[in-house]
Amino acid sequence: MKTIPCNPAPKRDKKMQKVKANDGVLTNFEVLNFLRSRGAGKDLTRVIAPIAPSEFKVYDYLEQTAACSQTRGSIISFVGKSKQYKLAEAEILNLINIRPSSVVEIDPIVEECDKRMGEGVEELVEMVLQVLPTPPSQMQSDDQVEFNKDDVREG
Amino acid sequence: VPTLHTLPGSAPEITEGYIQMFYLSKIEHTLRLPPHLLNLPVNQAIKGELEGLFLDKVIADLGLCISIYDIHSIDGGFITPGDGASTYTVMFRMIMFRPFVGEVIAAKLKESDREGLKLSLGFFDDIHVPEHLLPMPKQFEPESGNSNQGRWIWEFNGDNYPIDAVDEIRFRVHHVTYPSLPVEQEKASKPFAPMIVTGSLDADGLGPISWWV
Repeated sequence: MKTIPCNPAPKRDKKMQKVKANDGVLTNFEVLNFLRSRGAGKDLTRVIAPIAPSEFKVYDYLEQTAACSQTRGSIISFVGKSKQYKLAEAEILNLINIRPSSVVEIDPIVEECDKRMGEGVEELVEMVLQVLPTPPSQMQSDDQVEFNKDDVREG
Repeated sequence: VPTLHTLPGSAPEITEGYIQMFYLSKIEHTLRLPPHLLNLPVNQAIKGELEGLFLDKVIADLGLCISIYDIHSIDGGFITPGDGASTYTVMFRMIMFRPFVGEVIAAKLKESDREGLKLSLGFFDDIHVPEHLLPMPKQFEPESGNSNQGRWIWEFNGDNYPIDAVDEIRFRVHHVTYPSLPVEQEKASKPFAPMIVTGSLDADGLGPISWWV
């Protein structure tokens, strides 16, 4: 990947100062949205849009995550509905980025999940499934589940 | 573009030490615009210079620079005597990539050997999962004979769960380090990595996604 850290260079005419190291967090969706708004998804040649090759790599990664089908509205709704579970902000954003669809997937994200949430974790899973859009990769397996259920009923 | 924490009804204010995978960093930087860029609009020339300077590079403790997010102010434009270029002081924000300890991230398998795994996000490659942070009990299956390359297999309830390059692997960030630049590097040594993310697979829900879904 990359090169040496950008320390303040010894040259007299180049100087970098951190004004505010942390000026706010971004969900994967917001970064993807930012790249899309600059034309990342629209230019198939990838030479016309004013986007660097390294930025395209970030775009390609995010398009394969749950962020690719998320919306600002669904995220705002999710944050609001998460309040009752008393989750840390880092955990809420991690849930948004990963969009777990089962209890076992939530387990590594919420610290001491069992102790803090107990049965409530199943409600949280339901809420995730309802509020955050299904990522394309998960849609396939959801459809298959539906298909099997119908089979059982008819048999 | 408002970020999540500025929207009404959203989460409480960010505390100092709190970072997510992607976050904004505000930077002030003084740079010279070479004369050959003088025909471009100043904003554009400066953005180009900043991108060349920062994009895809690591700033110790801040992380990997992903994009120039916005430019707040540009001051200066003075030409120092004897210099064809003009000097500007720019205040801008960058999108940084720096995972926080405990964060769960989806990645792809890049390499697997006796020391553990190397995972990749495409735009960032230096994710190490050392063998002691793999789920136990585990076994290493070398590619052939005494080869250092091979795959790791988790043994659970009498079944074997191999870690292959087939699907997405979820890891949890264990720690992030910023090795200092070595004074000299031997020719055959591995390329220098300015930021290393060490991950763990040792918990329920981590590892190849096919194990759990």
